[in-house]
Amino acid sequence: MSKKDNKKNGFLRTGNWLTRMFMGADKQYTDEKLKEMEEAKNAAQVSDVEEIVSPTRQIINNFFSKKLAVGALIFLISMFLFVLIGPKFMPTYTDSYTEVTQKSVEPGLDMMSVPKELEGDIKDIDSWGSFSVGLSNSGKVYVWGATKLGTTKIDIADIPEDVQNAKIEMIAAGIDHIIAIDENGKIHGWGYNRFGQYSVDQEILDNPNIAAMPEEIRDGIDVSKIKKLTAGYQCTAILMEDGTLYVWGNKLAYANIDKFLVDTKFKDIDFTLNYVVGIPERANGVYTGQRGLYDQVKKNVTGETKDIGKFLGKRKIEEIETTNSNICLRLDDNSICFIGDFSQNDKPAPTLPEGEYFVDIGSGTYHYAGITNKGNVYSWGGNTFGQSNEPKDASGASKLFVGAFQNYTVDANNKLVSRWGLKGYLFGTDTYGADVFKRIVNGGKMTMTIGAVAVIISSIIGIMVGCIAGYFGGKVDILLMRITEIVSAIPFIPFAMILSAIMAQMTLSENMRIFIIMCILGVLSWTGIARLVRGQVLVARENEYVLAAQAMGVKESKIAFKHILPNIISVIMVNLTLNFASCMLTESSLSYLGFGVAYPKPTWGNMLNGANNATVIGNYWWQWVFTALFLALTTICINILGDALRDVMDPKSNIEK
Amino acid sequence: MGKYVLKRIGYMVVVLLILSFLMFLIYNLVPANRAYTDARAEVNALKNSIPADQLDARFDELYLEYQRRYGTDTDNKVIRYLRWVGVYPLYDGTYNGLLQGNFGYSYQWRDDVVNIVGAPLKNTIKINIFATILALGITIPLGITCAVKKGSKGDQIMQVVTLIGYSLPTFIIAIMFIWFFCSTLNWLPPSGMKTPGSNFVGWEKFLDEAHYMILPLITMTFCSLGGMTRYVRASMIEAMSLDCIKTARAKGLREKVVIYSHAWRNALIPIVTLVVGWFLGIFSGSLVIEQMFALNGMGNLMITSLQTQDFDVIILLQMFYVIISLLGNLIIDLVYGLVDPRVRVNK
Repeated sequence: MSKKDNKKNGFLRTGNWLTRMFMGADKQYTDEKLKEMEEAKNAAQVSDVEEIVSPTRQIINNFFSKKLAVGALIFLISMFLFVLIGPKFMPTYTDSYTEVTQKSVEPGLDMMSVPKELEGDIKDIDSWGSFSVGLSNSGKVYVWGATKLGTTKIDIADIPEDVQNAKIEMIAAGIDHIIAIDENGKIHGWGYNRFGQYSVDQEILDNPNIAAMPEEIRDGIDVSKIKKLTAGYQCTAILMEDGTLYVWGNKLAYANIDKFLVDTKFKDIDFTLNYVVGIPERANGVYTGQRGLYDQVKKNVTGETKDIGKFLGKRKIEEIETTNSNICLRLDDNSICFIGDFSQNDKPAPTLPEGEYFVDIGSGTYHYAGITNKGNVYSWGGNTFGQSNEPKDASGASKLFVGAFQNYTVDANNKLVSRWGLKGYLFGTDTYGADVFKRIVNGGKMTMTIGAVAVIISSIIGIMVGCIAGYFGGKVDILLMRITEIVSAIPFIPFAMILSAIMAQMTLSENMRIFIIMCILGVLSWTGIARLVRGQVLVARENEYVLAAQAMGVKESKIAFKHILPNIISVIMVNLTLNFASCMLTESSLSYLGFGVAYPKPTWGNMLNGANNATVIGNYWWQWVFTALFLALTTICINILGDALRDVMDPKSNIEK
Repeated sequence: MGKYVLKRIGYMVVVLLILSFLMFLIYNLVPANRAYTDARAEVNALKNSIPADQLDARFDELYLEYQRRYGTDTDNKVIRYLRWVGVYPLYDGTYNGLLQGNFGYSYQWRDDVVNIVGAPLKNTIKINIFATILALGITIPLGITCAVKKGSKGDQIMQVVTLIGYSLPTFIIAIMFIWFFCSTLNWLPPSGMKTPGSNFVGWEKFLDEAHYMILPLITMTFCSLGGMTRYVRASMIEAMSLDCIKTARAKGLREKVVIYSHAWRNALIPIVTLVVGWFLGIFSGSLVIEQMFALNGMGNLMITSLQTQDFDVIILLQMFYVIISLLGNLIIDLVYGLVDPRVRVNK
């Protein structure tokens, strides 16, 4: 016989015992019997005769009679599908994504739900962080989105009495404060005030890291002369028609505030994440107080850069709009150009047909949207949350409001026409600003992969060792069992931690590290299954069929692996299921302690890493509840399934019923 | 019996030697070189007092000296291991290893390791003993009751609860308890071992410490409830189906006597194995708890040492865990003989 045939035979035989396991010892025979039974039943309507079924059929029947176990199985399968297929629907997801303006946002999908009363009467909408503020033409202020501010217990949706009573003319939203100016010129503010965002006291005046609100506007400002009110990260700026600029807020966030406190006249002003950016009246350029920061211009988000002086020539800058890291300029010849860093995935700005040009541009955290003289609306730039996918019905609008990750267009009657962008986060965001839901899906894939590979490794070693030790006995048995004892004497978590810490010192790629973690888990946890298999083999060895095989001169290794192993496979299956849960738990514990898979790669264990102090646990419940729930439900279901399998596979347990 | 104990102890020593050699090899994978660090530090200190061209020569000289002192002047791992244990002489002919009481030096704490592990060891053992007593006090009666009333509503509920209990990882239970008792109810302090800055003595000190201990203890107890209760229940059920129970009942013995005297004795054997194994398990289980509640125990010491790469401390702690686990196995074997006279340990 050639080698090929041998191999084929092996496959056939494996197939055979699998069929035997599920279909019973002799399929033809049982089928005939079943048919006979059915005929007899039909003929004589004898219902008290129990059908003869194969043991495996019996097991399956018993299993399906347990509702809890079937439920657990269905849940587990859907969970597997969820974590395996889920990531396919998240093309924009990256492990290392973080967003400083979206840290610890509470769960909710109402970031774009403009209140009903405001929908038909919009004067202005602004947002910078996780909430939006809207103003109606009658001067009423509305706030929506994720409005609870971190650990401060401040809800920014609690609009102060005097703001509710006043007729507000202008509004602006920062990361954690809102500024509103009423018709009498009084400046109102609410939200977080640690950095003097809206009011002044002695402590704020004494703090060198705060630029306090300028004295001349504390009591009021001439609202008709304000050109622009804008807010950034804990910082606010008011630009007057005559070019006077008032700016105040957190100097740690905007180190160049000081340069804007001197008496310079400005045409326009905006905030990136780290800089105040202005267009001075005297010079034609972008002023940040730092030379060379923003002086390379390009025509679109990608492409060649040119020195700003050469690029502009005689053209003047009309308007400046900034995202977190880049700037868009609108020039007086109606063209636009860009300054700063763009990511490779950013959507490029549209090329407009002849005669069409942007009349207004708005900017969010990473994207821009513009409205043209023909009423068409375009958006471009960052597109992680679809904030640059303008819908078809957006065009035909007369006004456009852009902020954070949201866009709103409004028609001539001030009625909301369309909105697009980030709706919110189903499970909130973590302390780095990443979406918890997306990380759960991708982390689940990682956790389950690690668990599965670890179980496979440990079972292969365990079954081999157990089979050999149990079947051959004698010296082999003693030797293998001593090795098993030594390995099982190694304390698991401390040992895995040491290996992981040593690995951290070596230069390994993240994937390699993860693979080694799987191996460590597998190599350290095979002892249980080896003991179990050995015990089972010892019992099975005494059976007649083994004697028969021996008498027929079948090779010993063949008897061990091809005759005995299939007969104890049910016990092994149960153990595999339970081991899978425990491997997942161990991985989670390791990652939780910081010795498993490291951030930014998500697993269910290291996602809970942040929840190790009472502040996070108490205030940001969504950062641990959902992850813990997913992990707990999965392991509980695996254990229920394993228990049920053990019950139905054990013939003795039927007596209990 | 005595012969058997000796045999087991001898076997344990062999395993310990093998394991410690394995540990030592792994420990040697760490790219830390103590002789190099010390020599470099000393040369840097000398920088101003001797001419620059002699620095390198001085460094080589010091490096060799330190290598000889620490026993790392050879690449032979076996010799290094024997020196670490203290059965092979160093370069100058003296012995200085574990057997001589040299457990290494902690760079993080700038002290000998022996002086560092004392307090954490005391704390860990204290916590674990309390947790064991609490857990056994709850699980054994609970498991017996469940087994006796098998199939009743209460038993079914307990089955589900314990299943959930042993499916949840320790840290999730700890997070839930912190959330419930600290953040929501504000009853207990979330972490620490005593009120910061307090200087209580006597009774007040005890109360203060107890106040801080409650939450970790509850968490640890709860974590072990699930698995233990199920185990006790299972072995009780098995024991109740034995023929001797039928006989006892047939004799007309009171149910209490049947359960607690006849059945319980038979159920005890697997439970003893479990209890000892579990007691050892909580040493590594308390790793998470100690980290979570910022308790100054062995687990926490291990984690901080790993983070600061204080490897002399780590290898000693690792050996501690190994010894605990081996001792446990020994105790299981011996106790078997005590609980169950049928197990002839001499065989």
